[in-house]
Amino acid sequence: MSLLPLRSRIPSGLKLLDWFLRGWTALVFIFLYVPIAVLAIYSFNSSRLNIVWENFTLHWYARLWADGPLIQAAKNSLLIAGVSTFISVVFGTVGAWLLHRYRFSLARSIQTLVAIPMVMPEILMGISLLILFATAGVSLGFTTVIIGHVTFCFPFVLVAVQARLQGLDPALEEAALDLGATPLQAFWYVIVPCLRPAIVAGALMAFTLSMDELIVTFFIRSAAATTLPIQVFGLARVGLNPMLNALSAIFIVATVAFVLFSNYLNKLSRR
Amino acid sequence: MKTLQTMLLALTVLWATVALPAAGEVNLFGWSEYVPQEVLDGFTKETGIKVNFESYASNEEMLSKLVAGGGAYDVVQPSDYTAEVMVRRGMLAPLNFALLPNRKNIAPDLLDLPHDPAGKFTVPYMTGTVGIVVNTEKVKTPITGYRDVFQPQFKDRLVVLNDNRELVTWVLYSLGLTSSDVSAASLAKVRPILAAWVKLVKVFDSDSPKTALLNGDVDIGIVWSGEAAILWNENKKFKYVLPVDGAHLFVDTLCIPALAKNKAAAHQLINYILRPEVSKLISDKFPYTNPNLAARQLLTADQLANPASYPASGKLETFRDIGKAAAEIDKLVTDLKSAQ
Amino acid sequence: MLAAPIPPPLTLGDRRRPGWRAWALITPMVAWLLLFVIVPTAILFVYSFCERDEVGGVIFHFTWENYQRVLDPVYLLIFARSVGYAGLTTIICVIVGYPVAYYIARATEERRNRLLLLVMVPFWTSFLIRTYAWITILKQEGLLNGLLQSMHVTTGPLSLLYTPTAVVIGLVYAYLPFMILPIYGSAEKLDNALIEAAYDLGAGPLRAFSAVIVPLTMPGIAAGTLLVFVPAIGMFAITDLMGGAKVPMIGNVIQNQFLQARDWPFGAALGVVFMLMFAVTYGILQSRLARPKS
Repeated sequence: MSLLPLRSRIPSGLKLLDWFLRGWTALVFIFLYVPIAVLAIYSFNSSRLNIVWENFTLHWYARLWADGPLIQAAKNSLLIAGVSTFISVVFGTVGAWLLHRYRFSLARSIQTLVAIPMVMPEILMGISLLILFATAGVSLGFTTVIIGHVTFCFPFVLVAVQARLQGLDPALEEAALDLGATPLQAFWYVIVPCLRPAIVAGALMAFTLSMDELIVTFFIRSAAATTLPIQVFGLARVGLNPMLNALSAIFIVATVAFVLFSNYLNKLSRR
Repeated sequence: MKTLQTMLLALTVLWATVALPAAGEVNLFGWSEYVPQEVLDGFTKETGIKVNFESYASNEEMLSKLVAGGGAYDVVQPSDYTAEVMVRRGMLAPLNFALLPNRKNIAPDLLDLPHDPAGKFTVPYMTGTVGIVVNTEKVKTPITGYRDVFQPQFKDRLVVLNDNRELVTWVLYSLGLTSSDVSAASLAKVRPILAAWVKLVKVFDSDSPKTALLNGDVDIGIVWSGEAAILWNENKKFKYVLPVDGAHLFVDTLCIPALAKNKAAAHQLINYILRPEVSKLISDKFPYTNPNLAARQLLTADQLANPASYPASGKLETFRDIGKAAAEIDKLVTDLKSAQ
Repeated sequence: MLAAPIPPPLTLGDRRRPGWRAWALITPMVAWLLLFVIVPTAILFVYSFCERDEVGGVIFHFTWENYQRVLDPVYLLIFARSVGYAGLTTIICVIVGYPVAYYIARATEERRNRLLLLVMVPFWTSFLIRTYAWITILKQEGLLNGLLQSMHVTTGPLSLLYTPTAVVIGLVYAYLPFMILPIYGSAEKLDNALIEAAYDLGAGPLRAFSAVIVPLTMPGIAAGTLLVFVPAIGMFAITDLMGGAKVPMIGNVIQNQFLQARDWPFGAALGVVFMLMFAVTYGILQSRLARPKS
């Protein structure tokens, strides 16, 4: 009998927590998107210097369309971030799993080594990698930039996946092995699906880091492998004009639209 | 899996669009946004030589990349003191004047400066000064020199370049010394003055000091003349003042690295840029001082009237490389800023 | 605070000895680390014992001098300040980010990835453009001041930009996703039934949350702390733009040695000490955490 009043108390307490979480998340999303809204609005500003609001214009979108180098830099950035993320995810996931599953004699040193690129100041990494490439006679270009990016991106994937692996039921893999799966099959069909949330999180972080990196890239790129941050940073000298806001706005709106639209598609296909 | 396939496909397509053909090429390592795209396009159209443009945002970045062994460039664009370092380190090739007939357009006094006597290695691209810009709507007291700027009444109303050498130089000028006078004795004199000055500054920014002025967060700045010229174009309330105590004249140059592979094309490109009508295009985009006298005649009265681009003559001095003292200056300024 | 930035400890529950296959699989990663982390670090290590010549070149002549200079109180103070900012940023990120990560983790499966993507998308613009957007908001005649005044909260404009507050806002904004994502990664597997079980045992909602949920997501919090705290120590671009570059951070000091001062050996020495301090702390924390469990 005493269960009844208790039961009726539970939902209200849970609901309270739920409301709190929902409200908090909404506030944080506002915090995250306020600057984005501001930069999107300013992409329609006629003032060249992007500081004081003047008039509404679509001029910058037209200018953006005609700006070959900027578009090329954006393409390069997407390419470099895409490839770097892919390699980082493979390295990070496989590395985290192996370090978790097997007792390597140097596990702790490897673990520390993985973390070094996170702490290494960008300029040190840029210059020392350049010295390395120059000494080895590797000519600079997309390959060297991707190597650099993978080096500082994959630790983020690895750490995220490791956090997920902790507390993973070891019986999972054993069950798969008992059922006759090879270790590789067990990893691919059982472990990876389990790790997916962390892999997605890690991939998103790696992609973001790569898209936004400036200093390491500066040292190890060639003229052809110009990335967006380098182009943007150069523009700051003459005044960041709203063309860059327009580029950011297009990119973000496209991604957000993709996110919402694919949601809608999913719903349709489920009907 | 579908998404993964789509992504990989997208990557392959992107990869295909960035692969470049290689033919008659010249590699230019220059300041970002300093060489207008139409200049490069015009050169390619006329000569058929493709220009691979790689940009940097500061002399120091460029030098570090070259020193660490990066890139094979045919033309670089250092400022005076950096060019001097490069000459002293044997990193530059002497210019062949016979291939640069348009060099005659350059103001003669700029072809014989201490960083490169007789202009053997460098030819000026653009020049400018470091001076004071005042928002005359907010500041009514007359400002003529550094000491007028660093007054307690202007505390938290100042933006200055985030450059340690510049900061120290301003104090040296206000003491009647030169920018190369960086002996321990001089720096000891600089220290207490700079300590007081640093406390008054609200923003240190070398990349875009105009932002803080335009935003109204500060009222006085010590900035590159190009920044001041943009401000003046935006609003005439921003007045440019060359400090009476002395001002830094910088000369951005064009030169050819000793390791350049295509020196002939490099000379061609430099000579092309020195044409009056080409040099004018640079002035149209960047309101620095054009050293090309023939190009100056093509400028509009408006351009020439901009006091930041073409100031009345003042006491100007170019920077020399100061060797190991650069480390001392770095330590001094870091120390003072940190002690706030 | 110090106990947090550690990797998920190496629990030795049911781990196998690696066979040749495991070694073969981990070799590419180890080789990568050797080539692109150890070798560059070794280059820096060599440089850190060299001397700077008159024109900013490096002379290969052994000296301890650079390390003596690193111990100057000026640099130690700057290092401490950088750690302070990074620590504060991390704490705020945990507090702000945790509920978000938890909320996303409990959303329906199809919403989860979308929300996650939406957390990250703002950061696919250039850093500089984002920061300038913040400057537009925080400046003297900016949007926030306008809003506050029109609502009669304040009478005059507040000085928001170029203050430590602005720096912290900028840092939290930049690093928040790197806290939310790893926590999400470890919270996603939690069962709703756990919270209900805690209720059944008589815990209030907050208590159930802090006593049951938070400990279970500790690996995620530790990972997030690592991913935020460590990169934040070396961060200086945000500090410069939002704080007006008034006080130097350790990242500024190191960068300046390579650029403005052209003193590569000293810059290398600063970097080596910085990385060593990190590696030692990290190693100690790792073994401390692994020991009681084994």
